[in-house]
Amino acid sequence: MGTMLLGVPLVAQGKPVTVTGIRSVTFGAVLPGVPRVVLRTDPANSGQFDIKGPKGNVLLSFVLPLTMTGPAGAQMPLTFGASDAGYSQTQSIGSQVGFDPKQPFTAAMPNNGRASVFVGGTANPATNQRAGAYTATIILNVTVLP
Amino acid sequence: MRITKLSLVVAALVLTGTALQAQSNNASITATASVQTPINVLGAQQLNFGNVFPGVNKTVNATDLTNGGRFDVTGQASTPVTLSFTLPATLSSGGNTMPIVSYTGVHALLATQVGGVAFSPAAGATPTLSGTGALFVWVGAQVQPATNQVAGVYTGSVVMTVVY
Repeated sequence: MGTMLLGVPLVAQGKPVTVTGIRSVTFGAVLPGVPRVVLRTDPANSGQFDIKGPKGNVLLSFVLPLTMTGPAGAQMPLTFGASDAGYSQTQSIGSQVGFDPKQPFTAAMPNNGRASVFVGGTANPATNQRAGAYTATIILNVTVLP
Repeated sequence: MRITKLSLVVAALVLTGTALQAQSNNASITATASVQTPINVLGAQQLNFGNVFPGVNKTVNATDLTNGGRFDVTGQASTPVTLSFTLPATLSSGGNTMPIVSYTGVHALLATQVGGVAFSPAAGATPTLSGTGALFVWVGAQVQPATNQVAGVYTGSVVMTVVY
């Protein structure tokens, strides 16, 4: 009897955390041999994720690609610096706390349960980089910490 | 009473288990880029001084379409590039050398050199590729054979590097 009564609130306690990819990282036109940097503070070209979840700490971790894939499988190196990701409790690109996207980062969700993560990076085309469209996938994992 | 105690123990275990169980979720975005046309450089024509005589300097102007050295460049249309050169100070024939000096250059969007712009190869240049992504570059210079210059065929390499 006691177990059943306590079991109900345990289920209700599981307020889900949701993550939504809002905007891609856009390097635009890239010239062979000329690195192209997109800053996490770039409102038009930086990547953005929105997070909804319970108030408290969450662990943010990225799955980052090493390359972008282009025509006929051509690869173009993609690198991320130690401050290429940013966390915003206000979901404002102008108010971020920078962090290394290559390392897990613990962030505090605000009272309203909404936050954003921004990400930039550097595309490094070779001097003989094959022309064409290149893409890669960036994944953000969000885990609610106990 | 005994049943109640048992229930509390079970409930505590469930609570602990829930507290340790983390919720997680993920999402993805893409990174995109459009790589433009790579630069290609072709050594299209040698810088040719022809016959030279000891003690008589000979100049080939960059505007000389027949004897001037020519590089053909292709790349992304209407895009600025930077030209830089490695210029030999002498031409060689076996162990003999002959000075080569006073390099001149012209770059143009057409192979006819119409509308060409003069520049100093030693200083380099920053022209813009044509609307079709083409650029033509000519190089001239002067050789200065000594009065006792040993006869023979003298050669050297002029290297042009082009980057965006």
